[in-house]
Amino acid sequence: MGGSFQLYLIPGLPLAAFLVIAAFALRPGRDRAAPFVLIGALAGSLWLAIQALGEAAGRAPLWLALPWLSVGGLTFEVGAWVDGLSGVMLVVVALVSLLVQVYSIGYMRGEIGYGRYFAYMSLFSGSMLGLVISDNIVQTYIFWELVGICSYLLIGFWYRRPAAAAAAKKAFVVTRFGDLGFLTAVLILSFHRPAVFGFHQLAQMVEVGAISGGTVTAVALLVFSGAVGKSAQFPLHIWLPDAMEGPTPVSALIHAATMVAAGVYLVARAFFFFAAAPAALFVVALIGALTLFLGATMGAAENDIKRVLAYSTISQLGFMMLALGVGGYTAGVFHLTTHAFFKALLFLTAGSVIHAVHTNDMWHMGGLGRRMPITAATCLVGALALAGIFPLSGFWSKDEILAAVWSSRMPGHWAFFGLALGGVVLTAFYMFRLWFVAFTGEPRTEEAKAAHESPWVMTGPLVLFAAAAAAAGALKWRVPWTSGGFADVLGVHAGQETASTAVMALALVGALGGIAVAWAAYRANLVSSAAFNARVPAVRLLLRNAWYLNRAWELFATRVVIAGSAAAAWFDRHVVNGMVDGVAWMCGRASRRLRLAQTGQVQFYALVFIVGLIVGLVVVFGREESLLALLVGRP
Amino acid sequence: MSPAPPIPIQGYLVVSALLFSIGLVGVLARRNAIAVLLGVELMLNAANLNFVAFWRYGGGARMEGQVFAIVVITVAAAEAAIALAIVLNVYRRFRTVNVDQINLMKG
Amino acid sequence: MIAVIAEQLQTGAFWHPLAFVCLAAGALISGLLVVLSRNILHSALWLLPCLVSVAGLFLLLGAEALAAIQILVYCGGIVVLILFAVMLTRGIGDPDVRATNQQLAWGFIGAAGLAGVVLHLLSREAWPVASRANLGDVTGRLADALLTPYVLAFEVASVILLVAMIGAIVIARGEPQ
Repeated sequence: MGGSFQLYLIPGLPLAAFLVIAAFALRPGRDRAAPFVLIGALAGSLWLAIQALGEAAGRAPLWLALPWLSVGGLTFEVGAWVDGLSGVMLVVVALVSLLVQVYSIGYMRGEIGYGRYFAYMSLFSGSMLGLVISDNIVQTYIFWELVGICSYLLIGFWYRRPAAAAAAKKAFVVTRFGDLGFLTAVLILSFHRPAVFGFHQLAQMVEVGAISGGTVTAVALLVFSGAVGKSAQFPLHIWLPDAMEGPTPVSALIHAATMVAAGVYLVARAFFFFAAAPAALFVVALIGALTLFLGATMGAAENDIKRVLAYSTISQLGFMMLALGVGGYTAGVFHLTTHAFFKALLFLTAGSVIHAVHTNDMWHMGGLGRRMPITAATCLVGALALAGIFPLSGFWSKDEILAAVWSSRMPGHWAFFGLALGGVVLTAFYMFRLWFVAFTGEPRTEEAKAAHESPWVMTGPLVLFAAAAAAAGALKWRVPWTSGGFADVLGVHAGQETASTAVMALALVGALGGIAVAWAAYRANLVSSAAFNARVPAVRLLLRNAWYLNRAWELFATRVVIAGSAAAAWFDRHVVNGMVDGVAWMCGRASRRLRLAQTGQVQFYALVFIVGLIVGLVVVFGREESLLALLVGRP
Repeated sequence: MSPAPPIPIQGYLVVSALLFSIGLVGVLARRNAIAVLLGVELMLNAANLNFVAFWRYGGGARMEGQVFAIVVITVAAAEAAIALAIVLNVYRRFRTVNVDQINLMKG
Repeated sequence: MIAVIAEQLQTGAFWHPLAFVCLAAGALISGLLVVLSRNILHSALWLLPCLVSVAGLFLLLGAEALAAIQILVYCGGIVVLILFAVMLTRGIGDPDVRATNQQLAWGFIGAAGLAGVVLHLLSREAWPVASRANLGDVTGRLADALLTPYVLAFEVASVILLVAMIGAIVIARGEPQ
């Protein structure tokens, strides 16, 4: 395929699907076809992405850039760049999107706005693919914003529900904080002379030191701030649990597998900035570790199964950031890939359960294992993968991360390792808490008793995802359609993290321990959570209130931000407006004075006329020259 | 019968200039609109005097001077007619012909 | 006899300058009276001697036809017209009304200034005076000029008069009752 126009079709097909669906398939009668348009487009994108990956992996990247806009010394291009990193991401995004859309046919059946759902989904898919395939940072930013809008539209899909509308707004506003940082980074780059936006060129410039160290660090930190927002890292994670108001396939696709991964992808894509700014890398690792741990703790205290998974996503993204921060580039991206599979799987199983039982609360479920065997089994696979149990995919990717943290030379890496290990234990704990409470034991409500398995449109993707979640570990050694392992595809020459068996064993023990505690507390009733909470009430208080972080943000918004806005508003009203009004007032005063010249007396005007005439005569004829010569032209 | 008249041309030019200025005073400083018109007539006559003087002292062969003077007289007549018609109208509307009392365009 | 008088006036070394001085003074003085009279009727009437004096000056300069036209049109037509207007716009006796407005001083200064400048410019000029042996048939030549090279001006002037006549009628007619 080379650097050909077909690259543009990868995001282009879903975007075209958006236009088609929006134009023809929104009415209730005509929307039956909408999902198929999108699935067709995604199939095409997937096929093209596979081709591109096959060509680019481990070899020269595919690149096509067309000039778009040239203004004031800045040149913007529309470009597509497929190397190992973006190739893998493209395939993952296209594949997950495709399966989620198939699932959505069943999940969204009968919903009002069926067509609108698929229209937004196609816009999202196109934007996400566009983001991944971008070759320059400005284009990435544009698609970044686009996926943000799609997230808003899809979280608030049931816009008549106040909770959904509020959640959509919260998501948009919170990520805005991060996006502002990202935009500032782009602006800083635009001031550099020569202004270069392409990742490839920027990498070269950083390598030869053409950009000052301070600038590089600043850009890296600002880019990371964008990632903090999009990937729901501390402290901008508060939007993701609320985003569960959207339909479950949306949560699966956007808030588990793809959009939230965009932040991690961006850091990976712009890694050359971070590699040249160790301070920024430390910040990345720190935030990642904190997020990892906090997310896991909060997930352990939720009763809404989707919110558990949301906190889990936050925590797992923290793992990825931590990996990138300590230099484990391959580990972070590998976990991104495996996480996409098993987290999407888990969300879809949650959706299947919700669809059957009509509630999100795990304490209204129970005994679903017998009634929904496929869902339960696939969920178990996902849970095991998330917990990192051998030989499922999560084990391999998480293990690489732990190895990277253990062997890194970053100051404080042992603290990060401790947090990561704690995170592993907690992850296993909260995931199996969910699984045991929902799928084992006796049904706790009538709906739970009457639950039945979901239709094959929904369980089919579950099985496929489960297979992927189980087998994706193999990617470490061999990526399909290419000729190497994951590290080779990324162009990273392995040998950095040799998996030390001690770490592997430690991780496995930790995970199994977490599962054991969950089993003890929620299946075998050997340990009572009530008793625990009575002994250490602070834990429950902190965790149930999400470490009071929402409250903290609320205070910040109302006290600080609004106070600032009030000041700005005063300035605008009195100073800026005042200047404009001042000009008008001056004009009024001046004109009131000048108007007096218009006396309305015609003889006054005549007098002025005569005076002017006299002056004219003096000026023109004043010098010692002949009147006649001037008037007639004769010497 | 025509060597140049014994008066130098400046004589007529001076008379013309003075007459013009006198008429100008009338235009600028009289209140009655008709008085202003009288001043204008004086100025036109001064101009005519100038034209004829130059005709004569330019040799008297080319007739442009007199032709123009005739045109000026014609136009003065037309202008006087119209001006006085307007003055009549103003008188009917404002009940006065004092120019300085008609200042609707003030400001 | 008239021809003799005329010739004496036109070229006589004594009579010509005398006539000139008298006519010039007459024009200027009656002009001043036109401008300075309090009574508008007097102002209009003083215009008459002024115009006649100017006609006399035209005669001195040899423009006989023009002098005749001046008297016929100006004195006979325009002054009469002005008198009509004066009569038609007489106020109901305003005794204390001023004849001049606030601008009197400035008007004088302006006019004097203009006169001064013009006179100064005139005085330092060396006028290329020419003279002709025989003026000949001035009126005939004037007629030729009006009807041949300047026939357009002649015709346009007559159109102007027509337009002015119609215009004056329309304007002076006032509101239809």
